[in-house]
Amino acid sequence: MSDAVAQKAEEQEPVIDLSIADTVIDKYINIPGNLMPVLQGVQDEYGYIPRVVADHIAERLNVYPSQIYGVLTFYSQFHLKPRGKFIIRVCVGTACHVQGATRIVDTFFDKLHIGHAETSPDLRYTFEKVACLGACGMAPLAMVNDSTYGAMTVQKVEEIVADYNQRPLK
Amino acid sequence: MVNLTIDDKQVTAPRTATIYEAAKQNGIKIPILCHDKKLKPFGACRMCLVEVEQMKGRQIPACTTPVTEGMIIRTSTPDIVKARKMVLELLLLNHPLDCPVCDKSGDCDLQNLTYEYKVNSNRFKDEKFNHSIDYNNPLIERDMNRCVLCGKCARICDEIVSYGALTFIDRGIETKIGCEFDDGLNCEFCGSCISVCPVGSLLARPFKHKARFWAMTKHTSVCGYCGTGCNLTLGVKDNKVLTTIYDEDQGFHKGQLCVRGRFGYQFINSAQRLTKPLVRKNGRLTESTWEEAFEVVVGRLKGGSAVAALATARLTNEELSLFKKLLVENVGTKNFDHAGGYAHTALTEGFARSFGASASPANILDIQKSDLLLVIKTDSYETHPVVGFEINMAVKNKGVKLAIVSDKRGKLSKLPDATTLVHLPGTEIAVLNAIAKILLDEKLVDASAVAGFAELEKALAGFDVESVAALTGLRAADIKQLATDYAAAEKALIIFPIGQAYPGHNADLASATANLAILTGKYGKEGCGVLCLSEKNNSQGAVDMGFYAQDGGLNGLAILDACADGSVKTLFVAGENPLTSYPDRSKVKAALEAVEFLIVSELFLTETAAMADVVLPVCSFAEKDGTFTSTDRRVQYFKAAIRKNVQIKSDFEIFSELIKRLGGQAPSSPSLQFSDIAAKTSGYAGLSHVSLRKDGAFASVEISPALVVPQAVTAVCAEQGKLALVTGSTLYHNGTLSQYGEGPMHVCPEGYIEVSRTDAAAYKIAENDLVTVSSTTGTIQLKAKVTPRMPAGVVFSPYHFSETPINTIWSGAPVTLVTLAK
Ligand code: SF4
Ligand code: SF4
Ligand code: SF4
Ligand code: FES
Ligand code: FES
Repeated sequence: MSDAVAQKAEEQEPVIDLSIADTVIDKYINIPGNLMPVLQGVQDEYGYIPRVVADHIAERLNVYPSQIYGVLTFYSQFHLKPRGKFIIRVCVGTACHVQGATRIVDTFFDKLHIGHAETSPDLRYTFEKVACLGACGMAPLAMVNDSTYGAMTVQKVEEIVADYNQRPLK
Repeated sequence: MVNLTIDDKQVTAPRTATIYEAAKQNGIKIPILCHDKKLKPFGACRMCLVEVEQMKGRQIPACTTPVTEGMIIRTSTPDIVKARKMVLELLLLNHPLDCPVCDKSGDCDLQNLTYEYKVNSNRFKDEKFNHSIDYNNPLIERDMNRCVLCGKCARICDEIVSYGALTFIDRGIETKIGCEFDDGLNCEFCGSCISVCPVGSLLARPFKHKARFWAMTKHTSVCGYCGTGCNLTLGVKDNKVLTTIYDEDQGFHKGQLCVRGRFGYQFINSAQRLTKPLVRKNGRLTESTWEEAFEVVVGRLKGGSAVAALATARLTNEELSLFKKLLVENVGTKNFDHAGGYAHTALTEGFARSFGASASPANILDIQKSDLLLVIKTDSYETHPVVGFEINMAVKNKGVKLAIVSDKRGKLSKLPDATTLVHLPGTEIAVLNAIAKILLDEKLVDASAVAGFAELEKALAGFDVESVAALTGLRAADIKQLATDYAAAEKALIIFPIGQAYPGHNADLASATANLAILTGKYGKEGCGVLCLSEKNNSQGAVDMGFYAQDGGLNGLAILDACADGSVKTLFVAGENPLTSYPDRSKVKAALEAVEFLIVSELFLTETAAMADVVLPVCSFAEKDGTFTSTDRRVQYFKAAIRKNVQIKSDFEIFSELIKRLGGQAPSSPSLQFSDIAAKTSGYAGLSHVSLRKDGAFASVEISPALVVPQAVTAVCAEQGKLALVTGSTLYHNGTLSQYGEGPMHVCPEGYIEVSRTDAAAYKIAENDLVTVSSTTGTIQLKAKVTPRMPAGVVFSPYHFSETPINTIWSGAPVTLVTLAK
């Protein structure tokens, strides 16, 4: 492998530092029922659960790798792929739908060039359609990470995207 | 017992029974789909619904509900039938219904229940599943479109196999059975999941479209690989063994098999089988007639003690005892042996002097009845996988403690609460002696009356646990803990494997284990004793038949030396393949080249057979009748499952013919030979082919204990830049025969060297890199496997392979120093 190719491969598949996972695992190692907290803790650190980390957890906690995967795919809170820095969620619940959520969704698709549950290649955005976010009064609703944006319009989508495009990635 | 009423019938059932079990015991059939008697109750499919009057006629699952006194149960009211139909309709809704091309057809629970409940239309409508089908795996085809989500595959892989390859993945309507990251299956390939799958979701790939289930005849037999002695049902059509068929009631193991037993049968009908006698003419092996072959062989056998023989412990008891008769009475030689002459010494010398019998004073059934298992070498799982299942179940279901003394970690180390003392390679006897010393010092023993007590005490007097700890690389506290646990357990069983790749598991190791059992009185009782796991399907039988060097006869290795120096002029090798299985390949080769005349009886033209002057084509176990004696001395009778090729003969027929031609008298059939065995062999009295027909029988073992001072070998000193190679068996193989079983070769086609992560990093070795391994005797290239189980400085390599013969670098030492290079 030439250096340039090697570097490219590295860019695509970032080297995962398992010691970060180890710190989390060490915290829970002797506690019964530690699988869920370990997975949650590890996801908090990496932003998702890389496969090597899942395998490492399996080895260290002495659980089957398949069992970990079963848990990871059963609960929607776990992610198996890297996620964007900004998670954009648009509600498509009944109230929001009635208030035109579809147009909001479509506009985000257009602006971000990613579909539902996809992440932009630069890891800036992950886009998700979600069911009722529990704030129907503000329909149609969108969220970026923890910030809520009510009464969304196409105009507002453009503003939001422009805003977050400016923000630093690191 | 409780009294209850099922379908208006007064019945009784054990207190612990479920409704399903109570009904079954009383001849009432309740349909099931997700229930399996070997697995924990699950209650997912609702096929077994029944009505219980006390529960206001509510429908409850019979498979999970325990019986109670006075219960009134109805198993097939119109409402229940309706409910079951509904269950089936829902299952059939997304099911592809591709029965015409499904190999499960005819043996499928879903098909049978659909038929039984006459579900000929479906009130519901939905799309069919559209899961991708795994056609790539060479052994197991997975089609999750046919799956009824009963979970049996995942549960058996966890509860009995303890591998955990399969699980429920995804959620909701997407839920399916899969592996981690929805990958292909890469597991032990025991096939347990296939055997319990009620539908055609998991199928044996080698059997794909080979025959309809009902078109095969089913023949019970005994596995021809390891000493566990599992029973098999062979599916036969057109005189070919096409598959192994699961029978949940078969054998002590309830139909469980390992990859070798389940997928290793292809050698039986292999196109590579020898079909004609071969005689060397002008330097070339040439097809010949039996008449000619016999004539040449008989001429050579008149050589008395210049004749020697090696036989594989895969032959039947009848064959081995007849071969011995031929050699002793008609040829006039004492030079015969098996397994190199060293692989059986744990029994023939170790147990013989320690227990007064050349057999284990324990059996496989003791495993689940014990309180503590002390396993020497994690390899016990790989060498005897179905014994491994027993250990899994003992630990997981019965809370039996597991302590392991081993030179590496292994699958057994992962069992709940298992402790593994990883010692430096080759020092296990020192560890066991240290335990004996602690038992004596702490007065945890009650054996002062046993012969040899004073001698052992004296021999161990100067022994100090701290220095053993230093020598073995263990902590003294851990050895002490193990000794205390062993002494404290009411019942404890010691287990260790033997075999040609385990030269360190010799007579001294056997005596060292026996000492612990004898010192603490843990033998001759249920769940106690020492169980030596012998390598081949009839290793114990070979010992019982006395087919090893005695009374001054030459042993296996000495026979080869005698071939080399010319004192043995004719060597008859019945089924062994010393060129690959004996230590020191170049020495074996030189011996086989030097011997004047080499006779080989074989199924295949092995590398040993290729060197012969006469090759006699013989039957596999599936083509002959006889008995095998399992490692725990269960004598089992089996009948031929298929007719042999008319051109070949069984070893029994060959030995009989030779006896006749040498002027002796041979019994006309294996069963007559067995009568002779029963009369002469200790523990076999009263047994006959007829009495063994059903489940076989244990040959009794009379114990007379004696304490023996075992010689501990001193550890091989590590040398700068060298690693300690330990040899052994891999899970997928047994001896060299499994190379001709396609199944094992699909998953493990060649030798390899297992390297610790530390050494891999130091030598910059990655998985599957080709590594050059050298010792003082030779060099070989092997693929690397990097695993977390190997300690730094120790490498492991299995011995089975003709293409990558480990005996080029291994000359029979328990530990060999090697160098690695990329
Ligand atoms: S073949 Fe055996 S190890 Fe593999 S998934 Fe099936 S049960 Fe598990
Ligand atoms: S694959 Fe077979 S055994 Fe496994 S859940 Fe599906 S139907 Fe049951
Ligand atoms: S090889 Fe041994 S463990 Fe495997 S099925 Fe045969 S007898 Fe049983
Ligand atoms: S429907 Fe969108 S917040 Fe409730
Ligand atoms: S067999 Fe009882 S619920 Fe499946």
